[in-house]
Amino acid sequence: MTCLAFGLLAAFALLAGQLVNLQVVRHEEFLGRAANNTVRTIARDPMRGQILDIRGNPLATSIPAKLICADPSLMICPNPSLSRNCRAAVARALAPLLQTNEDYLLERLAPRLVASGGKTNISQYAALKHQVSLETWDRIKQTMAALSFGVDESKLARSDRSFLRSLRAKAIFATDEQKRVYPGLTLAAHVIGYVSGEGEEQAGMNGIELEYNSKLSGIRGWRHTELDQRHRELVAYRDEDIEPRDGLNVVLTLDAGLQNIMESELAAGMGQLSPISISSVMVRPRTGEILALANYPTFDPNRPGAFPPEALRNRVIADNHEPGSTFKIVVVSGALNERLVSLNDIFYCEQGHFAYAGAILHDHESFGDLSVQSIITKSSNIGAAKIGLRLGQTALHQYIRDFGFGSRTGIFLPGEVYGSVPPVKSWSKISIARIPMGQGIEVTPLQMVMALCAIANKGLLMQPMIVDRLVDPDGRVVVKYNPQPVRQVAGPATMSQMVAALKTVVSKDGTAPKARLEHYTVAGKTGTAEKVENGHYVSDKYFSSFIGFFPADNPELCIAVFIDEPPKGDHYGGAAAGPIFKAMAERAANYLNLKPDIDTTAPAGQTLAAAAGLPPGARPVKNN
Amino acid sequence: MARNKKNESGFRLGPAVTALALLALLVPPGIGYVWFKDQIDLLGDQVKKQEIVLAELERENRVRRDQLAILCLPDALDKQVKKMNLGLGPPAQAQVIRLTESPLNSPVAPAEQGRAQGVLRERNN
Repeated sequence: MTCLAFGLLAAFALLAGQLVNLQVVRHEEFLGRAANNTVRTIARDPMRGQILDIRGNPLATSIPAKLICADPSLMICPNPSLSRNCRAAVARALAPLLQTNEDYLLERLAPRLVASGGKTNISQYAALKHQVSLETWDRIKQTMAALSFGVDESKLARSDRSFLRSLRAKAIFATDEQKRVYPGLTLAAHVIGYVSGEGEEQAGMNGIELEYNSKLSGIRGWRHTELDQRHRELVAYRDEDIEPRDGLNVVLTLDAGLQNIMESELAAGMGQLSPISISSVMVRPRTGEILALANYPTFDPNRPGAFPPEALRNRVIADNHEPGSTFKIVVVSGALNERLVSLNDIFYCEQGHFAYAGAILHDHESFGDLSVQSIITKSSNIGAAKIGLRLGQTALHQYIRDFGFGSRTGIFLPGEVYGSVPPVKSWSKISIARIPMGQGIEVTPLQMVMALCAIANKGLLMQPMIVDRLVDPDGRVVVKYNPQPVRQVAGPATMSQMVAALKTVVSKDGTAPKARLEHYTVAGKTGTAEKVENGHYVSDKYFSSFIGFFPADNPELCIAVFIDEPPKGDHYGGAAAGPIFKAMAERAANYLNLKPDIDTTAPAGQTLAAAAGLPPGARPVKNN
Repeated sequence: MARNKKNESGFRLGPAVTALALLALLVPPGIGYVWFKDQIDLLGDQVKKQEIVLAELERENRVRRDQLAILCLPDALDKQVKKMNLGLGPPAQAQVIRLTESPLNSPVAPAEQGRAQGVLRERNN
């Protein structure tokens, strides 16, 4: 009896000792191993913010999608022929749904060994396809549930039947993803940009998607919790649950309606002229807001890889060109502001041939005496050169810099270049004559537009605005951007004179009669610059442009059209770009319901009478 | 002697009562603990299911909102108008009649003034 008692006591002591060893001495070790099995930190991805136009129309949005995955370890059956047949059956069933190659799927479904923590296991994860729509995932689930393997399953062993059940239910699974969608297709593609392709964490690669990537991305949340043996979450053991913060929405200054108008006119121009490219910008001069910006050739941000690199470039900010005659506004504004000339001063334009500093300057026509205003109207290179000589190198260079050339405009888009304005000390003797007519200097289209907007805005140069505000997913404004004045380039009185001169450009005596509008006075300037190749001017290749604003005395819109290599014979800015400007301006004015400043209709009273069905001359009477 | 004999052969009530009392003290809390744990697990499952439903509804809401917004894009509306052959388009300038409204405080006939004030009273009410 005593021995039995001692034996029991000893056994109990051993058990107690082992209990203490497991629960106390090795507590941390087993706690860690248990946590490895059950504790999980699940990342919660935020939704990427939208890009909207000024009216709230979505230009870029994210939709829920699925990443379709496979568990190759579930494709292994003790019966090798069954394994092969099953993998082939799954690949055959999924290939049309995933729109991918059957051989590729077979290769992805094949079991692979992976090393993990010093052990070698069969991989339980293989990604098959990214950004699959939810509808397609539903069809995949139905297909897998009904998948037939070409064998009579009732005659299979229990283990094989279990294998097939497991394969149907669990071998193909999906995790949540999001797909970036651009519903307008090519609409404002160069402004919006695009995101990186599938298989990577979405990041902006160009345009607003890149510039505002950190704001659009949002902040990831997480959930610290425990899972049971079947990988189901035990909600009661949820430790931390931090909601993801969805990305902010970026509201642009663009108007989708105006953008649509611009792109349709540019597309028509491309078809008609077949140039290398056409670009256009529409700006509100008072504030610098960009209402539309487009380039052709263009691309679809939904599949940027399908387009050549030159289609992806935003030429409005990334291309440098010699501006040609549009640059004359700088020298004339400077000379007027310095009171060195007035609009009525006369310059002799040498009948189209002006020898200066060992070079011959030409005009496109032979002009004799021209007033300063007429130099603008007729776009005389020699007249501009002589005004430049009167202004002087230093002052001209200062006005060039004041108008914003040689510096970035500061638009919130990536890839903007500076242009090229040589310092005065590197000017040759001929530079003072050539730069006023837009040669020997390189500018971006956007710099040229903003310079003309400064004239429209009474001399105040504005920073171009492309983003209006950032809002959270609930619509609350987080950041509001206001118009940013840069500097007063010249006095308002000077700019009034410039506007008066620029109005004559669209007259029948001017270089752009085709840009004249029926209901609005237009002030603008044409440009036709010979292109430079290998350091030499090429006589049959031009960069043509027209930039105009209207109504001239109280401008609401400034529209610029730039054409790279229009067809010879139709290459002048007024002939090539003028009609495109006119078509765009008329539609835009209609869309915005701008009040005309040219009254071509009958007096209001008679119009009302006509609308009321009364005889001509009768006035509508109020009913009391 | 008789009392000792009685105690040696009979059922001892005291310890039984003590045991029952201990059982009554320990078992209900134990059962209660297990039952509450079970309830917590059930609630956790319900929470999980509701979260899935909520996430699905939020996803549907987002998808429908985006679908509506996309259908309202100017380009989409334009295509739909052309497809349905509605003959709609922006008005030509000659079709636009611009009316100038006189401000409310300008001098008007008394009847007109009374009518205007009546409209204001109606709006404020």
